[in-house]
Amino acid sequence: MNNKSRWALWIAGAVALFLYPRLFGIYYANIFVTFAIYALYAVSLNLLLGYTGLLSFGHAMYFGTGAYGTALALTHIKGLPLVPALLAGFFAAFFLAICVAPLVVRVGGNAFAMMHLAFGQLMFVLALKLRHITGGEDGVGGFPIPPLSIPGLFSLDMGDPILFYYFAVAVIAASLWLLWFFTKTPFGQIMVAVRDNTKRVDYLGFRVPHTKAVVYVIAGAFAGMAGAVYALFQNLVAAYDAYGILTSFVPVMMTMVGGIGQFFGPICGAGIFGVLDELTTRYTDRVELVLGLVLVLVIMYAPYGFTGFLTYLRMRWSASRAQRSPA
Amino acid sequence: MNILETRSLSHDFGGLQVLKDVNLQVLAGERHAIIGPNGAGKTTLFNTITGTYTPSQGSVYFKGRNITGAGPCKIQRLGMGRSFQITSTFDRLTAFQNIRLAVLSQKGIRFNLLRFVDKMDTVTRDTEEILKRINLFEDRLTLAGNLSYGKHRSLEISMSLATNPDLVMLDEPTAGMSVDETHYAVELIRRLTEGKTVVIIEHDMDVVFSLADRITVLHHGTILATGTPDQIQQNEQVQSAYLGEMED
Repeated sequence: MNNKSRWALWIAGAVALFLYPRLFGIYYANIFVTFAIYALYAVSLNLLLGYTGLLSFGHAMYFGTGAYGTALALTHIKGLPLVPALLAGFFAAFFLAICVAPLVVRVGGNAFAMMHLAFGQLMFVLALKLRHITGGEDGVGGFPIPPLSIPGLFSLDMGDPILFYYFAVAVIAASLWLLWFFTKTPFGQIMVAVRDNTKRVDYLGFRVPHTKAVVYVIAGAFAGMAGAVYALFQNLVAAYDAYGILTSFVPVMMTMVGGIGQFFGPICGAGIFGVLDELTTRYTDRVELVLGLVLVLVIMYAPYGFTGFLTYLRMRWSASRAQRSPA
Repeated sequence: MNILETRSLSHDFGGLQVLKDVNLQVLAGERHAIIGPNGAGKTTLFNTITGTYTPSQGSVYFKGRNITGAGPCKIQRLGMGRSFQITSTFDRLTAFQNIRLAVLSQKGIRFNLLRFVDKMDTVTRDTEEILKRINLFEDRLTLAGNLSYGKHRSLEISMSLATNPDLVMLDEPTAGMSVDETHYAVELIRRLTEGKTVVIIEHDMDVVFSLADRITVLHHGTILATGTPDQIQQNEQVQSAYLGEMED
């Protein structure tokens, strides 16, 4: 693909995103925002799982901390503008990741996964028990959602679902672009090298724990960003949704279904989950049963997920074309 | 001058004494081969020198610095590269990306999160130059895991060398290679290590005698003899312990 058609594609995508809520209305705009939040959340997990080879069963602790960070900031600070509120969630997750990183970067594999299961559940129990701060099961809700404004220039009411859609999509697109960019830097290469052969990275003179720590903090912070947008979107953050075990598993499943280790894999996975969820709820409320079945089928028949399957089809196609017309 | 020196180095694995009082001296600029029968402790010696294990006793000096107990990463940064007996590359990355990682390390580019790595022209140029020198330029987009065995080995050796170390430790670089591949690998090593110090573990006596300036014979975890290839060939102890066995 040359530069021109790539730009054309990007512009077409941006126009489609702009027109989408106007064409399909508020209901589908909200579904898209939910998808976008989970896409960012799953991509941040894929940075650990797919790129660095670290499986976390407790990524919800960053999503939840981001959500609570924003919700609590808006509840307790009068007149806090929108962007600082969003950053409150981002940095809450960022600092939590900085604190946890030294404890987890020297382990990998099962130990890493289990430590996160433990930490994630610890955060969940804390959110349940510290009722005076988090509201326990009822959560923190009904906080004011400030408008997006530059004083004297403009003010956009975020209570308007369509305007909020634009804001959320812009924030998430920018975050996704940043994460994509990180994977293309020299550091992104070292990250993938850690996944492939940790020992060799060490013998090439790169510090493995430090590398893991940086990836870890980035992944945590951007999960927090997804959580912050979630808090603004729902106007309610409660323990089960923010820190619950399912919230930790969902991005893992999305990444596996979409395609592990591919940047756009988790985004596809979030899309597939969104569509399936929307379709199955029309017929039955056993949504998890259907999603679980899809996960099993993917793991059995397409272990590299949806994007991996596409790559496979493309390779088959170009191979058969080469066979038919030998050069 | 000794670039590498071990002083009464000993190592045991839970009571099994693998190295006993090893005093190895490697001169700057020489190609030093370590030979010995299976189980003589050659790879363990490598592992204690390059930081995989902390030796049970004794110490390791590199460029006059005590590096006993330092980790692989730190030792590498001081200028010691190594390759592995069992090929160790980044198998899901391309040959180009493998070498590029070594080049990034050599240039000290580690935590750069602000630039596209594909747009770092000097890195790309250096990487391509290395790939051309080792005849892997045509295969640069092949995943390392899909390279033929000989090419995969060349890639591994070149990665150790691409960080431009002062001392290279090669652990059986020609292990499992065909006669032709071995021939090629020896030439490659000779060409790429020009002016560097090399310590090489090798089983193939032709390789050892054609490549090495000096040879150390390890037997049951101790040094039996050190000397020029001629001296080693004439050494009676070595003949009875090692070369004799080979001719049976």
